Amino acid sequence: MVAREKLGLLKEKFGPAVQRADMSCDERLFVFVEASALKAVCQYLFRDLNARYVISIGMDDRPFSGKFLVAHDFAFDEDHLLCSVLTHVPPDNPKVDSISDVVPAANWAEREIRDMIGVEPVGHVYPKRLVLPDGWPDGVHPLRKDFAWNQVPEDFDEKREFLFDDPPEGCTVVPFGPFHPTLDEPAHFRLYIEGEMVRGCEYRGFMVHRGIEKLAESVLSYNDIPMMAERICGICGCVHNVAYAQAVESAAAIKPPPRAEYIRTIMLEIERLHSHLLWVGLACHIVGFDTLFMQSWRIREPIMWIAEKISGNRKTYALCVIGGVRWDITTEVKNELRKLLDKLEAEWTPVVAAVSKDKNIQKRTRGVGVADRALVKNMGMVGPVARSAGVDIDCRRDHPYAAYDRLDFEVITEGGCDVWSRVLVRAKEVFESIKIIRQCLEKMEDGPLALTIKDELPVGRLGLSSVEAPRGESHHFVITGENNRPRRWRVRAPTYQNLQGIPAMIKDQQLADMTISLGSIDPCFSCTDRLETIDLKSGATKVWTHEELLKLTRTKKA
Amino acid sequence: MNTLLSILGGVANVVIVLLVAPFFQGVLRKITALIQSRQGPPLLQPYFDLLKLLGKEDIESGESPLMQRFSVYLSLATVLTVACLVPMGFAAPMNAAGDVILLIYLLTLCGICTLLAGLAAGSTYSLLGISREMMTMIALEPLFAVAIVVGAVHTQSFRLDTVLNGSVYASAAFPWSGVIMCGVMLLSFQAFVQRVPFDISEAETEIMEGPLMEYSGPKLALFKYAQMAKLVIYSALFVTLFVPWGAGLMFPLGWLVFWAKVAGLVLLVTVVAATHARYRIDQAIRYFAALLAVALVALVLASYGY
Repeated sequence: MVAREKLGLLKEKFGPAVQRADMSCDERLFVFVEASALKAVCQYLFRDLNARYVISIGMDDRPFSGKFLVAHDFAFDEDHLLCSVLTHVPPDNPKVDSISDVVPAANWAEREIRDMIGVEPVGHVYPKRLVLPDGWPDGVHPLRKDFAWNQVPEDFDEKREFLFDDPPEGCTVVPFGPFHPTLDEPAHFRLYIEGEMVRGCEYRGFMVHRGIEKLAESVLSYNDIPMMAERICGICGCVHNVAYAQAVESAAAIKPPPRAEYIRTIMLEIERLHSHLLWVGLACHIVGFDTLFMQSWRIREPIMWIAEKISGNRKTYALCVIGGVRWDITTEVKNELRKLLDKLEAEWTPVVAAVSKDKNIQKRTRGVGVADRALVKNMGMVGPVARSAGVDIDCRRDHPYAAYDRLDFEVITEGGCDVWSRVLVRAKEVFESIKIIRQCLEKMEDGPLALTIKDELPVGRLGLSSVEAPRGESHHFVITGENNRPRRWRVRAPTYQNLQGIPAMIKDQQLADMTISLGSIDPCFSCTDRLETIDLKSGATKVWTHEELLKLTRTKKA
Repeated sequence: MNTLLSILGGVANVVIVLLVAPFFQGVLRKITALIQSRQGPPLLQPYFDLLKLLGKEDIESGESPLMQRFSVYLSLATVLTVACLVPMGFAAPMNAAGDVILLIYLLTLCGICTLLAGLAAGSTYSLLGISREMMTMIALEPLFAVAIVVGAVHTQSFRLDTVLNGSVYASAAFPWSGVIMCGVMLLSFQAFVQRVPFDISEAETEIMEGPLMEYSGPKLALFKYAQMAKLVIYSALFVTLFVPWGAGLMFPLGWLVFWAKVAGLVLLVTVVAATHARYRIDQAIRYFAALLAVALVALVLASYGY
């Protein structure tokens, strides 16, 4: 009834501006509003009803409705409701009111809509290019339907340098990235430094676009996309895989069989175990404590082996198809998994006990990289970053999917707002994951692994899915379409929101704390950079020029 | 005859340091690996690493390649000169060639080489590295000087063989100053040999090896060699100043006891490095400042004969 209640509130306040609504179930609400009322509705949801901002989506809907579509997604975590506010924008000179001044978290998403779809956010607080490189011609928008997936505009100048803002007075510029030992992926921070203090920064990312969303909308089919989706990320791939499948299932009103739901849950938790252990190790490595780095990776290794035993791969499990899963958990694996969990628990307990008493690590992490409640709310930050600030959100409990509604577990929160609290949250969540997998093994019933779907999926339906990745909520938005593929698929990885909080987190602290602050959100740049149709130059060295590299890859292909 | 003997002794010291330094590095790596539940590289791996690096192409890079080359040579040369002055199981060979003041100067010069290396690279990160190195040097170098001066005050001498022989405990009354300095030096020893938690000026995950970032091939090998030698020499200095017992034993015995003590110190360095996280520069400086205050108290005590 929550969806109906919220809709009632909106109708009462905005009257005829609320055009129509779609409630596929009680946990989802899609509201179509007039473009002129969009900003007011979002402000009402975000500020008055205290909804959490999730993501904004743009879509070229011209072939279907003759208009552009812009959607802002919000979550009511306590009410277990995901909500999307949609509006149609006329095709000539498309413009929509920017919500970035009332919802600061929408900053990136709106710029991305402008870059990719070409809908101008009017009154945006910082309307600089985000995704497209500076050499990309104006007025060409790669996610429009009349733009082919393999097209490169003729006047694209790939050698053009980025335009950066001027640093504040009295500060020197320290380039951090695109390549740095603690960044495993390319992203560029221009840090403004005064002595050893960071006074600000400018971020230029999106250097590894792979055009995944465009491919999904123009080349792949429904059951190809999960395999592509998990390649968005090398750490939390299964999350994207499941989130996509669930978004389509929610749009088409399909319910996978219970055994499949349990298997999805188990694989997601196996992934969380591996990711948490990996991250705790990395965080220690960043502050120079290599012993714990080695130990937590040693403890993690058997998890990779069991994943390989189940799926054939240490990572990229290729788990989901629409309506089910592809791998079974046999009795043999079940027994092995139980033994592994016992061993893991026995090994991790002393590590957590040792770490939580270690003054030395605390000295480097307490009061560092602070993201307080206000910042979390304004930037829409999620996962361990939010939970370390005492914001009690976890999609597994708040928006239950797979088998989580039948399981008993705790959501770990801490109040320190700093890196130390994040270490504690993630270290303790390992035990919750162990608990969850044990319950799944206990409760899992026999049955089919997947539904056989004979009919075509209905067209033009909307689907939302939020999955709690190890680093926070991954949110997928799907509009089903023709030709056995979605019309629009938008992925919002947790880093997309968490990264926007980084400038505030590193401001006025030491340069030495920059890496651990950035590391503490466990940034995944490939998740953030997932969509585009071109790949930017990847830092040509003196030996290989960009052209030569291109030539090399092309001849190999042929 | 005497001159010849002291030159031979100096050369012997240099050869010994060059020979055993990679071995101690190997021990350090092996024990670190054991603490981390790894198998670790073979004990002789550092020798192979050095050979491999020495055989690579000598690339000129950075702001000023000449200075880059010069600072490496100077660094290794300084370290090896110090080796000539420090007793390694025997009396200090080049006793007549210098006194403890020279020793203090040479130790400071080691740090200056790092500064030069960073300047030569000229990148933002190496400059950050040398600014950290400089702050560390200012806070750290007085500690060693105080320790040596305490010994010199007790023995009323600047002679190497007199001071570098447990002189800190040579007061008439109970040697409070010597005991205090022993504690202070132990607590700051990681910083002298540039290991975690005080490898701040190189911090790979923060500033990408700082001053060393432009180094590769043979030049990197020499720098690494100098660092390994530094570990041995500082350990030897510590042993001669603070743990002199057993040095007077007959030839193979006294010599063995000396190296056993050096190995013990390397072991300590390893264990501390493997169980700590790196400090931030401001935290480290505050720590050194506290130690410096204690060291000054020791100096005052020493001048009153304690």
